[in-house]
Amino acid sequence: MTAKFRPTRRATLVGLSVLALGAGRVAAQGKAAAKKGGTLTFIQNNEPQTLVALTTVATPALTVSAKVTEGLLEYDFDINPRPLLATEWTISPDGRTYTFKLRPNVKFHDGKPFTSADVAYSIELLKTVHPRGRNTFANVTEVKTPDPLTAVIELSKPAPYLIKALTAAEAPMMPRHIYEGTNPLSNQNGNAPIGTGPYKFKEWVRGSHIAYVRNPDYWQAGLPNIDTLIYKTLPDTGARSIAFENGSADLGYRTPVALSDLDRLKKMPNLVFETDGTSYSYNVSCCQFNLDSQYFKNLKVRQAIAHTIDRTLMIKTVAYGYGTPTASPIAPGLKAFHDPSPSPYNVDFKKAEALLDEAGFPRGANKIRFKVPFDYNPIADEGRRIGEFMRATLSRVGIAVEVRSQDISAFTKRVYTDRDFDFTYNGHSNLFDPTVGVQRIYWSKNFKKGVPFSNGSNYNNPKVDALLEGAAVEIDPAKRKAMFFEFQKIVAQEIPDIPLYSPLYLTIKNKRVHDDSLTADGVEANMAHVWLDA
Amino acid sequence: MGRRIAATLRRTALHAGPTVLGIIVLDFLLLQLMPGDAADVIASESGVATAETMAALRHQFGLDQTVLTQLLNFLGHLARLDLGYSPRYNMPVLDLILQRLPGTLLLMTTALSLALVIGIALGSVMAAWAGKWPDRILSVVVLLLYSMPGFWVGLMAVVLFSVKLGWLPSDSNMTIGANLSGWSMIVDRARHLVLPALALASFFVAVYARLVRTSMLEVQRQDFMRTAQAKGLHPFLIQLRHALRNALIPVTTVAGMHLGNLLGGAVVVETLFGWPGMGRLALEAVLARDFSVLLGVLLLSSLLVILANMLIDLLHAWLDPRVAA
Amino acid sequence: MTVDAQLADLGSRAAPRQGRRLRAFLHNPTFIAGAVILGFFVFLALFADWICPGDPQDMVAQPVLWPGQDMQFPLGTDSLGRDVLSNLVYGARASLLVGVSAASIGLAIGMVVGALAGYFGGRVDALLMRLVELFQTTPTFLLVVVIVAIREPSLSTIALAIGLASWPTVARLMRAQFRSLREADFVMAARSLGYSSTRIIVQEILPNALPPVIVAASVMIANAILTEAGLSFLNMRDANVVSWGGMIGDGRDLLRTAWFLTALPGAAIAMAVLSLNLVGDGLNDILNPRNEP
Repeated sequence: MTAKFRPTRRATLVGLSVLALGAGRVAAQGKAAAKKGGTLTFIQNNEPQTLVALTTVATPALTVSAKVTEGLLEYDFDINPRPLLATEWTISPDGRTYTFKLRPNVKFHDGKPFTSADVAYSIELLKTVHPRGRNTFANVTEVKTPDPLTAVIELSKPAPYLIKALTAAEAPMMPRHIYEGTNPLSNQNGNAPIGTGPYKFKEWVRGSHIAYVRNPDYWQAGLPNIDTLIYKTLPDTGARSIAFENGSADLGYRTPVALSDLDRLKKMPNLVFETDGTSYSYNVSCCQFNLDSQYFKNLKVRQAIAHTIDRTLMIKTVAYGYGTPTASPIAPGLKAFHDPSPSPYNVDFKKAEALLDEAGFPRGANKIRFKVPFDYNPIADEGRRIGEFMRATLSRVGIAVEVRSQDISAFTKRVYTDRDFDFTYNGHSNLFDPTVGVQRIYWSKNFKKGVPFSNGSNYNNPKVDALLEGAAVEIDPAKRKAMFFEFQKIVAQEIPDIPLYSPLYLTIKNKRVHDDSLTADGVEANMAHVWLDA
Repeated sequence: MGRRIAATLRRTALHAGPTVLGIIVLDFLLLQLMPGDAADVIASESGVATAETMAALRHQFGLDQTVLTQLLNFLGHLARLDLGYSPRYNMPVLDLILQRLPGTLLLMTTALSLALVIGIALGSVMAAWAGKWPDRILSVVVLLLYSMPGFWVGLMAVVLFSVKLGWLPSDSNMTIGANLSGWSMIVDRARHLVLPALALASFFVAVYARLVRTSMLEVQRQDFMRTAQAKGLHPFLIQLRHALRNALIPVTTVAGMHLGNLLGGAVVVETLFGWPGMGRLALEAVLARDFSVLLGVLLLSSLLVILANMLIDLLHAWLDPRVAA
Repeated sequence: MTVDAQLADLGSRAAPRQGRRLRAFLHNPTFIAGAVILGFFVFLALFADWICPGDPQDMVAQPVLWPGQDMQFPLGTDSLGRDVLSNLVYGARASLLVGVSAASIGLAIGMVVGALAGYFGGRVDALLMRLVELFQTTPTFLLVVVIVAIREPSLSTIALAIGLASWPTVARLMRAQFRSLREADFVMAARSLGYSSTRIIVQEILPNALPPVIVAASVMIANAILTEAGLSFLNMRDANVVSWGGMIGDGRDLLRTAWFLTALPGAAIAMAVLSLNLVGDGLNDILNPRNEP
């Protein structure tokens, strides 16, 4: 099987909102002629620690990175690859050789040409310092550069997810001449980046904002449309709401305001809410058990908890309706892999009580079976509300839950280093493929003390291990899907964690902003096409 | 007087060294007690990690060294007036703090001046008309200011002045991207300063007003005040000339102590208004377990407070000759 | 009057003044008003279980019911469908507890340190003031944040952190009082009569140094309640206990639509703090010996 793409016609349609053709709805929007000029203000919750998503994939860094540092490919909303810095690519039938033709005449902001040497260097760099790249590019044995515009990636084993991993934020193409011979973690390029992107870095006023200006020499002639792109940090949720309301913010994503405030903001005539451009990274929120806990090592207790959880009610009260219920750790958005069957454990409080009795935890004094702490990952707003929801729900079956608050560092240490927890509310990013986003949580070989977001339950099932390892190298999509379906059946039964829902993220923008989310990664992409009404 | 100033300066200098050392050791130990480290935070923000990236991060932060080595390293840097390097922000801590310091100083001095001026004015009026209607009305106003959380006052002010009336901006310290200069820049900065400074000052206005009133009433009962009254001077003039001078001792004492409080209050206000200051940096550093930055901020604010208290000691010597230098 | 007579007078005032003081309390409208309001909150705090039986954190009804919309929940429900009235009642318990325990810790440490430093001066003063400086030069709120971060943000940790961070204020105030009073005539006289330091501190200076400290105590309880609210604003709060600060923190997201969720606990905080201040002012009027004719 040879997959070969020759999107040459598209490449000639430069500047005519080519990317918008990917989706009908957006194409309609794209019909209006893009206006030139203006300043777009993007609002962020937190300031990034670096402006290049090389050593971190924290959200604030992902938000800004691609504006300067681009990737080889971009993706439509269904994660089908489209050319960016690479114009065409082939994958060998054995899935072990990827050949990329690079776009000619692409220059970094300092005038140096972008070549296959940069690609080879970047992939080596990603393999060593990128938090995910170490796994994504683990099978890469060599990157050959037969000529300046050809890069050939050789793999020891197939990596069927690799072709989806080449966005700007996930696999940034770094300038080799700036990084070579330096420590990538402390390279000053992270503070004042150079890249091939549509925007040039102008200034970073710490604590206030980051400013980018139009790159007049961008390889897509005529783009970008706007003159200035500002990333402003506003740590307070309420302040962000007000900024959208009074027009001082143009754009923000991953629902930058309180969920409870959305109904009110949606009535504002100057604001637009969209869900396009969120398909590259779905999250699944779950109730994760410590299988070494004296209570939750018992399957019956876990089943009892599962029988009390009403996902619909939870989404309504905790997430204000902005979520899709899922009983699978693979998000419903990953349509190719998600098993939509409901949880084998329906909402049934009587059954839950019976299971707890059977498990040897009868109701004792004060009608309480046992008292157990519940920790939540504080990085998302809804964590505490989930804790309070669990507390109220489980009190109905005689389990006294004490909700324990702590900051992110304390939470991570408790769960992954000290393993001093019983059950938690946690969220995992699925990303673009289950091998990258889901395997790590269930694979017994990834039970690693001290490594955050590894197999925190300490789940160990050889059958599951075999399925995950098989799917990681299976190049037949049908077989791969079958493997993931079997995996989902097993974990749904054994519930090392209870998947709850997949949050629905909204991008909020002023109605004067257009063509901001045209790819799977939406505003995390280079935003070369974005334009503003005058 | 001159000898007194010299003595105060000498004493402060002698104090400052050990105090600073004590602060560093105390803070360092407190910070060591916090669960988790900078690498945990960075990995959590990314939502992904491998054993190798964690090890690399810990090495980068020097967390693979013993606590004692880390402390000695910090002190070694400090001896060369260097606050060390923050791997998280990828820049020297001193540079990072100096970028944020002006914003906080501006906010703090504005708020403190506002609070002192308004507070002393209100307090004097209340004391002069003690028990009469101006005192009663102002007492209620002051008590209300005193009883409302500063962030709540700020929030309400934002809703009113920024959202409803559209008079004042609600976030940042300037109109970003506007490239203003000269007079229009100053006006722009001032407009951005109003709401955060008021939110920060509201509580302290009430504190000073109450304190001034209490102290002035105390002083009023003393003999020299009765003498002045007997001379037939107008009560308000007596207040200003005699009572206020004495009332300034507790007020300045408290104001000096409030520098630390103000910086603490700045944490909340800077967060609320997206103000690029040191308070927010400190909070971020706590959450990020970026100890080099947090130690730097704590050290610098300590120096600020030491300096302020030295000035206040001098002021006291001038206000009340009975106080030995 | 001679110095000796003055001293004798000062010493003898304690006993007969008891009766007069009680009357003074009853005749001070500020104190009465404050005590009544404060008493109301203390009553709520003590008898919360009896006034509103059941867990206040239970999700009992439809979220965000406005006050009066459903008479079963006269003050409405919050975003998780919890009864606001019952939360307010239980919140009194948590907020007062945080305020009183934090202030007690702060006062206890601060008074001892301040009195010793101010009275003895010299090396004792230098040493203690260095300790005060150590704590005081660290921004209070940051210190609280750091201590809370060391342990999880439970109610007891928050109270401890606020107490540990707030004592330098009292110490300095106490020291300033002692420093100016130790040179006062009646102290000099007491010293010349050979009274012990303990006696001079406790019996002679302390009563005269107390008024500002009493005002400070009310400030501290109020401060602790407000600090707890500030911590809640930054999401550092005990998820198991309802406090007014926590309610504001929860309601803040809905500030523009369901303002009562912020306003009601805000008003509760304001009223409680107000009552504390009235009581403090009243006490100040009554206890200040120089107040008497």
